[in-house]
Amino acid sequence: MQIIPKLEKSNIYGLMGNIDINTNNNNYFIIDDYKFKDTAQEYLNNPKAIAALKMVLLNEDCLTKKVNELSLSEIKRIILAKTLLSNKEYLIFNYFEKDLTNKEKEEFKRLFKRLATDYNKTILIFTNDITFIWEIASYLIYVEENSINIYNKNDFNILNYITKPNIIEFIDLMHTKGLDIAYYKNPADLLKAIYRLKEKK
Amino acid sequence: MEKLFQINNKDFNKVSTTVLYTSSYNYLDDAKEFIHHNIVVITKDQNANINNIPEYLLKSFNCLELLNKPNLTRIDNLKITILDNLNNKSDVYVFLNVLTYLDNEFKKRVINYLKEQNKIIINYTEDIEEALLLNYIIVIHDNKIIMEGYKEDILKEEKILKKLGFNLPFIVELSNGLKYYGLVNKLYYDNESLVSDLWN
Repeated sequence: MQIIPKLEKSNIYGLMGNIDINTNNNNYFIIDDYKFKDTAQEYLNNPKAIAALKMVLLNEDCLTKKVNELSLSEIKRIILAKTLLSNKEYLIFNYFEKDLTNKEKEEFKRLFKRLATDYNKTILIFTNDITFIWEIASYLIYVEENSINIYNKNDFNILNYITKPNIIEFIDLMHTKGLDIAYYKNPADLLKAIYRLKEKK
Repeated sequence: MEKLFQINNKDFNKVSTTVLYTSSYNYLDDAKEFIHHNIVVITKDQNANINNIPEYLLKSFNCLELLNKPNLTRIDNLKITILDNLNNKSDVYVFLNVLTYLDNEFKKRVINYLKEQNKIIINYTEDIEEALLLNYIIVIHDNKIIMEGYKEDILKEEKILKKLGFNLPFIVELSNGLKYYGLVNKLYYDNESLVSDLWN
């Protein structure tokens, strides 16, 4: 069992590594089961359900719907609403970004930021896709069986341990050709850098 | 193209296919249909026995250490499930949103292994990057096929893909931008070709 070190509150952390998440700490709420029985209303089971749904950009129409009548994105929003109603301080999202399009991922990133800044939640996003958390996480936590390492979000050393995103693999390939180019997270920045490099040559 | 079978009004032909879906589509409905055909279907939470897997296969996929690992994680079990099924006699393998959980190296090895065995691969995914792995793409939204075709044709339909919420794969997007600046004159689907052509 790994013990997550004391985290600064109201922050977003990326969590990576070949591990399974579990906790006995009542302050943590792990979100990794993206389905529920009965209707959304019965699942949420709270007088503040409508307000919570509004927060996750859903309206009360979905309260009467069951899981098989909702899209995956709507299901995840409802589950997010449930976490808000739980009043837990620490929220751990387990591979939350799977089954979502890029557009939906961006919407949820904005929601996570609001949860942290406006609702003082401390959020841990467990994923194998660093690009999902790069922009929004303050720190990246890499966990192995016997160690926990914390990286600043702009520290590229974590890339030695995880699946490298495509942009980094591309830049690494450029390095093997002897090309002097920095690491970028944003493809638009890489594009400009390549243009400048070509102009120089 | 030779037809393999029809699943919920979708024709699957004898070509390895990416089924790119939005979150409004429940691919598990297709899973119920696949069992009527003699094919391998791999989902996230299946169980498999690592002792069934030949050691040479574990070695070639860098998974030998799993034999003696005391606490296997969900990802370890997923790899074991995939490897356990790799020598199945079926000609068709269906992956239902599982490759996205795996590292790129393992993913590519699985695809290459099956291709070498002349198997047909059908990969259900929401990850546009995986659309580069196979030749044919079916794009589904709201239970409807929005478009289908070879990947080079589908990945040119940027407006439609973006309207559905997908970006272009990184290398296609990058080569699109480089094409705009006149640095290349076509789209690319792999890093090596683009880097090689840019700095020939």
